[in-house]
Amino acid sequence: MQAYRERGLSKKQILQDFGCVVGVSDVSLQVRRGEIFCIMGLSGSGKSTLIRLLNRLITPTAGEVLVKGKDIARLDTATLREVRAKHIGMVFQSVALLPHRTVLENAAFGLEVQGVGKAERHAVAERALAKVGLGDWAARYPDELSGGMQQRVGLARAIASDPEVILMDEPFSALDPLIRRQLQDEFRQLTKSLGKSAVFITHDLEEAIRIGDRIAIMKDGVIIQEGTAEEIVLSPADDYVAEFVAGISRLHLVKAHSIMTSPADYRAAHPAVDLAALTSASPQSDLDTLINLMVRCGQDALGIVQEGVVVGIVTQRDLLRGVQGSPVSEGLEPSVTQLEKSL
Amino acid sequence: MNPDDFADAFDARVDGALEWLSDHGAAVFDLFDEMLKGLYQAVYWLFSLAPFPVMALLIGLLAWYLTRQLRFAIGAALALGLCALMGLWSETMSTLALVLTATIQALVVGIPLGVAAGLSETLKRIFEPVLDLIQTLPPYIYLLPAIALLGYGTATALVATFIVAVPPVLRLTALGISMTPKVFLELGHASGTSAWQQFFKIRLPFALPSIMTGVNQSLMMAFGMVVIAGIVGSGGLGEVIYGAIRTLDIARSINAAIAIVILTLILDRLAQSTTRTTRRVGHDTH
Repeated sequence: MQAYRERGLSKKQILQDFGCVVGVSDVSLQVRRGEIFCIMGLSGSGKSTLIRLLNRLITPTAGEVLVKGKDIARLDTATLREVRAKHIGMVFQSVALLPHRTVLENAAFGLEVQGVGKAERHAVAERALAKVGLGDWAARYPDELSGGMQQRVGLARAIASDPEVILMDEPFSALDPLIRRQLQDEFRQLTKSLGKSAVFITHDLEEAIRIGDRIAIMKDGVIIQEGTAEEIVLSPADDYVAEFVAGISRLHLVKAHSIMTSPADYRAAHPAVDLAALTSASPQSDLDTLINLMVRCGQDALGIVQEGVVVGIVTQRDLLRGVQGSPVSEGLEPSVTQLEKSL
Repeated sequence: MNPDDFADAFDARVDGALEWLSDHGAAVFDLFDEMLKGLYQAVYWLFSLAPFPVMALLIGLLAWYLTRQLRFAIGAALALGLCALMGLWSETMSTLALVLTATIQALVVGIPLGVAAGLSETLKRIFEPVLDLIQTLPPYIYLLPAIALLGYGTATALVATFIVAVPPVLRLTALGISMTPKVFLELGHASGTSAWQQFFKIRLPFALPSIMTGVNQSLMMAFGMVVIAGIVGSGGLGEVIYGAIRTLDIARSINAAIAIVILTLILDRLAQSTTRTTRRVGHDTH
């Protein structure tokens, strides 16, 4: 570890020189209360190791994992068990429903481990199942359920213990695209309505964008970029990220304020146009909305109005550039340039 | 050195050693002998409490309860009746008592050791060669040390049967316990299980089919050995066959063989049915 830091060796060199594999190194991140934080990376990037460090399924060799101010990495066994049981829920890619138990008993597993009485834990588990829309399936066995339904049970099991943090280890990766989208939306809604914080692992950037409030992109055990979906799509930190971002639809990500040109420039080019007469939109409107507006009003420019003042103009050219995802240097939100690269 | 002299010297040594052992350990071996005999007699007493029609009916009912197959249950009861008609009822019950006594002993030792071996790689490496050796040697061999130390009779048969019956259940228990899918172990840890909960709620349910298969195999091994042990005066059907062959009473030995087949089939089906009731559990669900 020291050698890694001080000499800046690569993962490959460490493996050669020391015979150990670097899982995750030098990752600092903060998940805020009530936030869904996505960690996106390809297989081998260390994302699964990272999420297992959070509830110490893997014990870190160095560093701190703070949950509510307590360092998970240094807890004694009893306290660790309690934190795992009550404060951190986990959902697995392979679902891991116990095949010899009914759906209800599976959902109640966490509470059972905590020693909650049968009647009470079954009542709580039933409510959790109802929240994920499986209220009628309690008495079935896992092998009678479809993949999507099984993963709902996994989610119900995680929320039944009412943890503050939910760890999602690629939960939807094995599902077919339609069910996946549906579960993504439901998961986001459910997490927000229950006010849980979540760390969500995925290898799919689109999924990360759909679900996450903020996204971190990992490669070779290191986080190479962290930010909101818009920040990552509009200003990828390096070529690796740029490659991922290339295929992402910008229609709902890119907002007017990041593609508009200044009113002065526009006026200089088109002196005849009255800015106030342009159809107006807010700086927070996304490309999709802007395109609809422009098509409907028949003009070739939109005025972006904030608090009654025209702060920018979006022309057809700007829109097309925005959809294409070409770098638009002017008019970027300041926070994007201040992106933390605190790695 | 003359080969004959060598053999004589070797034999003398072995005799001497065994004599020394039985002289000095007589009390221990006698006690052991008595305990085993006592255990067997208790089980046998239980089986001979009721007259044969009642016992046959009870086993038929048990068969129905476990397998839910009426045909098998009626067949089992009638077949046991046939044993009685052949005049082999007490021998059949005696064999049943021997098999169950030896198997239960093997399970009491084999399952806990198997669990330990399933949890500890080191223990597994220690057990492995011993089990290999036991299973490689012909079971007949185990009659020798037992008869030397415990003498002719039931106790010897039980010891030899016990030795043969331990390995299958130990191995399969260890296998079942160590094969828990990793993600379920993670689930247990992530849910905050204690070591006991991890074992009873996660590992054991997944291991059950494997353990039950081990129990079944041990039972069948024990059956084979109990019949062979007729040669050392185990009592029961094995001894009937051995005696009948020595006097060339082929008809009686065939009767005993039929009784053995009947008993084997019934026990095997019953043991398998308990395996099947746990079928929901498996390693292949996901």
